[in-house]
Amino acid sequence: MLDRESTFADPEILALLKERFVPVAIDQWYTRRQQDTEGDFWRQIAGQGPRNDFNKTTQGMYIAGADGKLIAFNNNRGPERLRKLLQQAADDYSHPAGTGLIERKKVDAKYKIELPEGAVVIRVSARIEGGYEATDDKWQKLFQSAVSRDNLWSTIAEQKLLAAGTVPEDLALRIARFHLVDNTRGEPSTWTVEEVRELELTIEAGKLSGTAKLETKDGKRGFDATLRGELGFDENEKLIRFNLLVEGRFWGTGQHTMKPPSGKFPLVISFTLADGTDLGDSIPPHASRGWLDGYLFPNR
Amino acid sequence: MPIVFCAIAVFAVVFGPPAALYSQDGLVPNLAQQCQAVCQDTTAAWRTVAWQTDLIDAQNVAFEKQQPLFIWAMDGHPLGCT
Repeated sequence: MLDRESTFADPEILALLKERFVPVAIDQWYTRRQQDTEGDFWRQIAGQGPRNDFNKTTQGMYIAGADGKLIAFNNNRGPERLRKLLQQAADDYSHPAGTGLIERKKVDAKYKIELPEGAVVIRVSARIEGGYEATDDKWQKLFQSAVSRDNLWSTIAEQKLLAAGTVPEDLALRIARFHLVDNTRGEPSTWTVEEVRELELTIEAGKLSGTAKLETKDGKRGFDATLRGELGFDENEKLIRFNLLVEGRFWGTGQHTMKPPSGKFPLVISFTLADGTDLGDSIPPHASRGWLDGYLFPNR
Repeated sequence: MPIVFCAIAVFAVVFGPPAALYSQDGLVPNLAQQCQAVCQDTTAAWRTVAWQTDLIDAQNVAFEKQQPLFIWAMDGHPLGCT
């Protein structure tokens, strides 16, 4: 999140990446686990760096040759160090002799999460609307103004139910458990089934409305929210409009979402149908990691 | 866990699917704009880079173009949630 607003806002870095590198973005949570060709290549590269325990995170920025030889590793905030590393790597790079195209011989199905046939992608974004203490720290300012991004997937069967005027239980629970979260400062903690204390979502004449009360057993994290939205369908009952706005008071932290505003703070989450034009539209929902059925059927 | 799912399906039963689902009449005033206002800036600089999302595909391109790989590897997908 901070990288987007600092490192990848730097014009020199962007120019280098576009002109002199092949840039690739991966969720290494998947890649370091994959028992396949891609996973092997990632472990070859990351294994040469400082984060070479594949039971732990390997996150960072890596420069490597087409032969998998690590050239540089960076995990510093800010653009200065990376700018130098990129420039030097680009100037020094010579195509490694004897390197060939890597042929994909194996795909680990467990980590190949694909959009089910006929399903639609709905962009989900969240923003905290206030409550932070004033700060002069530039990194904290970026956190405080951050807008998150995830995708909600809705199956073809769910769309047909919606078109008939019924909110599918799986869809409502999926939205509540996995998408009514504060992911503005990092990976969110989602909700267990038991933490969904109340959930009401209805359709009337194409308009969605409802409420949700989510709270951990110890009461340290929660979200009281109202939902309102509008739907539209084509002649095949496929969603062609999905606008949903969730507004409420959130409190508490997750393991990777520390330093929220104190007390209860206003959180807004929007859902809009993706059209495939955004880089993030093809990314599987965060909560589908490693177990798509657990995401699609959240009561299990 | 009191979950209530209601379906207002009278029109669907009597007249077929509600007409409002298929027309502009069902729109909530300004809702689309309010939703859009919360979304990420689609013109942000990092989005102008042609990010690959598969490491093997990227290796093949790097081989063809004789350029090094730059790998942005995160917990959570860099183009998505983190």
